Amino acid sequence: MRFEAEAKRALDTATARGADYADVRFGAVHDEHVEVRNGVVSGFADSESFGFSVRVLRGGAWGFASSADISDAEIDRVAAKAVEVADASAKVKGRGISLAPAGKFVDTYRTPFEIDPATVPLEDRVRYLLDVEKEVRAAKGVTVGKASIDVWRNDKTFASTEGSLIEQTILQCGSAIHALAVGNGDAQDRTFPGTCGLFQTGGYEIVRKAKLLENARRIGEEAVALLTADQCPTGDMDVVLSSDQVSLQIHESIGHALELDRVMGWEANFSGTSFATLDKLGTFRYGNDLVNVVCDMTCPLALATHGYDDEGTPARSVDLIRHGILVGYMAGRDTAHVANVPVGGVVRSEYWGRLPMIRIGNVNLEPGDVSEEQLIGDLRSGIYMESNRSWSIDDKRLNFQFGCEIGYEIKDGKKTRMLKNPTYAGMTPAFWGACDAIGDAKSWVAWGTPNCGKGEPMQTARSSQGSSPARFRGIQVGVGYGD
Amino acid sequence: MAIDTTSGPDAIESVLSGVIAASTVDETEVLFGRSEAALTRYTRNEIHENVIEGDASLSIRAVVGKRVGVASTSRLDDRAIADTLARAASIARLSPEDPLFPGLPETGPDPRALAGAYDAPTAAASPDARAAAVARIAEKMQHHQLHAAGFVATRCDAVAIANSKGTRRYFESTDASVNIKAIGDDSSGYAEGFARSLGQLDFDALAAVAAKKALDGHDPEPLRPGAYTVILEPPAFREFLGYLSWAGFGAQSLDDGSSFLAGRIGDQVMGTNVTIRDDFAHRLSPGIPIDFEGVARTSVPIIESGIAKGVVYDSYYAHKLGHANTGHALPAPNSAGPLPLNIVVEPGSRSTADLVRSVEHGVLVSRTWYIRLVDQKKMLITGMTRDGVFLIERGVVTRGLKNMRFNESIVEALGRCELADEQVRSENMVLPAVRINGFRFTSATTF
Repeated sequence: MRFEAEAKRALDTATARGADYADVRFGAVHDEHVEVRNGVVSGFADSESFGFSVRVLRGGAWGFASSADISDAEIDRVAAKAVEVADASAKVKGRGISLAPAGKFVDTYRTPFEIDPATVPLEDRVRYLLDVEKEVRAAKGVTVGKASIDVWRNDKTFASTEGSLIEQTILQCGSAIHALAVGNGDAQDRTFPGTCGLFQTGGYEIVRKAKLLENARRIGEEAVALLTADQCPTGDMDVVLSSDQVSLQIHESIGHALELDRVMGWEANFSGTSFATLDKLGTFRYGNDLVNVVCDMTCPLALATHGYDDEGTPARSVDLIRHGILVGYMAGRDTAHVANVPVGGVVRSEYWGRLPMIRIGNVNLEPGDVSEEQLIGDLRSGIYMESNRSWSIDDKRLNFQFGCEIGYEIKDGKKTRMLKNPTYAGMTPAFWGACDAIGDAKSWVAWGTPNCGKGEPMQTARSSQGSSPARFRGIQVGVGYGD
Repeated sequence: MAIDTTSGPDAIESVLSGVIAASTVDETEVLFGRSEAALTRYTRNEIHENVIEGDASLSIRAVVGKRVGVASTSRLDDRAIADTLARAASIARLSPEDPLFPGLPETGPDPRALAGAYDAPTAAASPDARAAAVARIAEKMQHHQLHAAGFVATRCDAVAIANSKGTRRYFESTDASVNIKAIGDDSSGYAEGFARSLGQLDFDALAAVAAKKALDGHDPEPLRPGAYTVILEPPAFREFLGYLSWAGFGAQSLDDGSSFLAGRIGDQVMGTNVTIRDDFAHRLSPGIPIDFEGVARTSVPIIESGIAKGVVYDSYYAHKLGHANTGHALPAPNSAGPLPLNIVVEPGSRSTADLVRSVEHGVLVSRTWYIRLVDQKKMLITGMTRDGVFLIERGVVTRGLKNMRFNESIVEALGRCELADEQVRSENMVLPAVRINGFRFTSATTF
């Protein structure tokens, strides 16, 4: 396997220095980004990054060090430094860290794909984006049009003193368009697909199926129309959220709330803790009976899917909410014992040089049995909202306020006039308790979030929240714009 | 010649010059960055995460006429660097022309590094030194039957820039920071410290501030949402300034019209007591004197006595909009345009304590959380209070409050504010506390 000899050297050094346990990760990251803005290529970059990290446990305390220099001398220095860091940690520790068993795995994993991005010439990507962006600005009144394609490839090797040796190639692709319209004393945005584009694991077929060109003009026209649309009304009303907005709602009010390190206070000073405390496990009503949520790290296409996480535990599916009841957390080897829950392959790092931690994986709301049309068709009045524009939630993941790019008034089962600046707010359990219908499997999409922030030093991670559109009753709407 | 983790400025410059000499495109820029970031994180008075992260990258911007390509690598050997140069050139040749691209900038004489931006002991700070600081904080918390979460961090950064127009720049800087959240049964308090030198951080004093807030805030009461006079302490005020900078103070958003300043340069947009500039040279936060194109940073007045004076520029937007380049480029490729990185808010004339005494019935906010822009043109921002929110009655902080959500236009709020007389560094900003009248809290929490 690639980096096998280097990994062995790092583990041997850490062990010789006194590590009780060590794991190492060597990585080669290759990102391609092409972006067009108002008819010119504003970003055309090809970046690669190679390096490694060593994580050690000694005396019940963690140490971690990394470097971009994969030379024998540097491997020795960094492995020794990780042990030195663990020794410093041990000087201010309590009961110490204990690890759940991970098993020993010698394996390889490759993201399945249909079209290798390497077979799609860069000039073809540029030409396509120029065509797409031109179509965005074909809508009269668009101030800024943007279109982008990303291809991310991560080759990584994990090895541990427990005998695991795992080589993976993770391939992720995504694309997006954005229209900004300025006028009438206002600025309005529309993005497509979803809130920040369609990002999934797989090959260039992910870009093809996004259908940017087919939707570009509509997105531009909607941004312009929003400038003169009516303001979203204020009050308590029934709401239908698009699947990408439900995805964001899951991310913020379920995903982060059920990261076990947050529950344990490990993020208390920054990302916060969680209202979903350990005493609630198994009994707490998180939402309506029809709310079923899993973290499935094996989910096809979902952006966080892999074979193993960055501490060598295999991907699996874990129940988080079943029939509305809290039944699980996302856990890692050093946290799982606290809640007596399984590890789920969710401990990940931004790249080879960063500390792995529990990250939202593929947190999926299982589809219901209602057609997308029926969600709206059953309502005499309400508001439909689509694509996130702003998002805020407190540090226990209870009090939230989200804004969407576009809304429509629902009258007698039909979408009617366009509404601008739609916002809604609520408290997490009450909101999910007010969910009375979830769209069926046909409307379910594995939406990816490419930029989730957590940890210190702060890391971004790529998560996924699969969802259908869903309906919520009696929700506070128009927050922020009223008195 | 390759670069390794110990290469000094001469060796790095030699490699960067070699890249430029080997390049066959019209213009070439090489940006090298190297960092070692150490952070010791604690919770419940114990260290639970502890890292030293090393990284390096070399990024090449190749220019062919008005076509631009960028490629980067973390591998710093001859072969990888040559491959990166070839990739950047290849991308440039594939790119369509950008008729507005002005070419790489002429960067002029080499600006001198600021005194105090680099501290050798901080660059060499050991894991034990950071752990000792955590131990002092933990001891203070245990004395008060509190527990704390936070971090002690040190870092060292080097940046080198060279281009085919003769620019050669190299700077190093260090930074140290501490973050303390003191946690009681039903309350919490916050304190933070930032300095270029670890030795300048007073861990005991900051731990005492955080502990006092947690103790004073116990048994918090709810406050009915509504408009109140607030005192935003610097960590809370900073979050608002961050959005103001990102969405309003760069030339790109001014050009596309989405900035609240678009069409309003020269207008009175805030109170006459508000002056905001971008200044990398402020004594509390001395920074690197160049931007990521190697251009000397300048101090830029943005708001002066409430009047909009201008925004920051890089070479692209300076050329496009016919304005002087202020030295605020971000690394290429950059779709965000130029941005200010060193915001300074000028102080007022009364102390924070005096501002508190001036409040008949209001709220003191220590820190905010998850603030987001709801409406860019209005600069309407929502977010939550966090880690120390207190009731002020007749000029006295009387008790802790449960946290609240706010929705407020920061531009309008700075039209009805008073700034305190003491500036502190918060992240990379320098700013005082601020009193704002009629600040809108829109909902409450149970904690």
